[in-house]
Amino acid sequence: MQTAKGQLAALGAPAVVFTVAMIAFPVVYTLYLSLVAFSATGATSFVGAGNYVRMVSDENFWNGVVVTFYLYILSLVLQLIFGTALALMLFRAKRLPGFVRSLFISPFMMPPVVAGMMWLVILDPSLGAANYILTSFGLPPSEWLASPQWVVPTLALIDTWQWSPYVALIVLGGLQSLPPSVYEAAEIDGASGWKRFWRITLPLLLPTLVTAMVLRSVDLLRFFDLIYITTQGGPANASLTLNIYGFRTGFEFFQLGYASALMVTLSIIVLGVTLVLNRLRHAVAW
Amino acid sequence: MASRTRNAIGCIVAALAASTTIGAASAQNFDWKAHEGETITFLANNNPVATAILKHQDEFKALTGIDLKVDSYQEQQMRQRLLTVLNARSDEVDVFMTLPSREGMQYAAAGWYADLAPFTTGSVAADYDFDGLGKALIDAAKFDGVLTGIPLNIEGPVLYYRTDIFEKCNVEPPQTIAEIEAAAKTIKDCDSSITPFASRGLKPALPYTFSNFLHNMGGAYMKDGKSNLCSAEGKAALETYANLLKDYGPPGAVNYSFYQLTSLYRAGRSAMSFQSSNEFPSVMEGGDRLKDTAIVPLPKGDGGSVPTTIGWALTISAFSENKDAAWYFVQWATSPKMQAKLALEGIAPPRQAVSQDPDYKAWLEEQPLRQQWQKTLDELATTGTSEVGFPIVQNPESREYIGQAVDQILLGEADVDTACAAADEALNALIARE
Repeated sequence: MQTAKGQLAALGAPAVVFTVAMIAFPVVYTLYLSLVAFSATGATSFVGAGNYVRMVSDENFWNGVVVTFYLYILSLVLQLIFGTALALMLFRAKRLPGFVRSLFISPFMMPPVVAGMMWLVILDPSLGAANYILTSFGLPPSEWLASPQWVVPTLALIDTWQWSPYVALIVLGGLQSLPPSVYEAAEIDGASGWKRFWRITLPLLLPTLVTAMVLRSVDLLRFFDLIYITTQGGPANASLTLNIYGFRTGFEFFQLGYASALMVTLSIIVLGVTLVLNRLRHAVAW
Repeated sequence: MASRTRNAIGCIVAALAASTTIGAASAQNFDWKAHEGETITFLANNNPVATAILKHQDEFKALTGIDLKVDSYQEQQMRQRLLTVLNARSDEVDVFMTLPSREGMQYAAAGWYADLAPFTTGSVAADYDFDGLGKALIDAAKFDGVLTGIPLNIEGPVLYYRTDIFEKCNVEPPQTIAEIEAAAKTIKDCDSSITPFASRGLKPALPYTFSNFLHNMGGAYMKDGKSNLCSAEGKAALETYANLLKDYGPPGAVNYSFYQLTSLYRAGRSAMSFQSSNEFPSVMEGGDRLKDTAIVPLPKGDGGSVPTTIGWALTISAFSENKDAAWYFVQWATSPKMQAKLALEGIAPPRQAVSQDPDYKAWLEEQPLRQQWQKTLDELATTGTSEVGFPIVQNPESREYIGQAVDQILLGEADVDTACAAADEALNALIARE
């Protein structure tokens, strides 16, 4: 019996070693890189925690933290609201034809780069359709992605357009698993539709919503493609998230050590937020 | 003494004769099939230059028997891939495209370029004519005596303007930078539906166009080893460029790069567009602008006319295991014959001789505007400078601070003194770090 277990372990070992190496190597290597400094010519020197100390007095780092969280919170809130609303609509409209359902959920299947290019054209302040529509209704045109004040809300809106359907799919799954007996009891007691939503649906949906929050949080804190395509962190650093800042520092300015330290810090932030949300998930479980 | 001098001259003449004979013999012995069956990898920037070259890649295979494996990326992704490959000293890439004015000094300092000089005298076809390549571009690709690339094209920012709008608004074409502002003001008052002046505002992209303003206005990026951006000329250039965009530019100019500039001008929505000569084929797409456009270099300033002139180059990785076969590709792509073909697709040739090619001449004569475009490029070739951003190894990062200073003024976040002082501090720290 013991021999059989040993043989099984031996047979599985290569796969285990391969998997661990594939996960561990990049992490360990990035940690190592975050402790070295790269000169302009690519030469390296060990600086210990130097890159992390540099971060404390780096204005762009703190700006990156603020922009990252501003974009994260705004996008997450919008996606939860619109995703839940869309899910409720799809749940109630049971006779909706299949292709209409597919149309509603199609944005998140579009590659972010394509979505970015599309919105770049639509939101162009001079030639785009968005300002044409606004001015047709007598409203003032907006600079959208070119305005330091509006760039983050605009990015959040684009991301909401793309990812609310994904949240809706998760919430729809949650809605379908809710016990019908609770609703029957509420109906007999004469609870209105609005009351049923606030007192029954929403509390029972909380575990599903927190799951959607966890999944979206990981993506939103690492927000990249859309910004890279549309603003590259501008105007004037107004959309320079930590991820974009790290990328540009590493791949455009050659400072791979400092960029790695920024990425390690971002990973810790993502991990921290995920852990907090996981705790919340346990707290709201029923 | 006289006899020793005569001997020395004799030796030099003999050596020159020998080298010419060896060169001629090497050209005669040159065999395009010498590397048949080998494979090389080309990392291409997916821009019009590479697209035009790769249309002919079957001809390269037929001529040399060398298999060309192409990895094509957008410009920034190409650099990202290069950084990964070359930093690891990998031989995965044999040939790649490079912009010497941007990363030349950085990559040369890192030892990533193979020295191409020995190839240009060693293994060359009889009709290659290395000396026919623009000297300024060749010099711009030399770092510490190492020839890092062979020019593929010549380009620079040029002023496209609408002759019909100028006529309608009774404005003379600007002869100086100050007159650009005056013309823009008149056009704004005359026709409010037209953007009077457009140029790059996107932070990392704008030093390409701003540098021409700086140099024409008598400024220089560095003086005595320090940043000179806050000199009187530097501040004037920052203020003029940013204010032109702020007062007469399109809404959202701060995000403008080549794509938006081309779209706006092609749609007939801007009266003056200061942008890359490379965009000429795209700007003229559809033919709407062929009859109402004129092209000139940026009008002069207090420092005269010092256009920005750069070009993409083909280079061989220092870590390539197939340098000889890679050189065959570089040689083929930069040969007079190929560059004449590329010119017909709107890729401005870095060789004077190509502009005399009968097919190219016929192509130019088809449209008067093409002739203006070529004339402007000739002027760029003879009087231009390739200095875009600070002449330091960390040139790409220096562009960030220049762009930030312009954008702060453009967005009204800072006045010229504050924006310039912040940029200067960052730039001097960058220079010191180097």
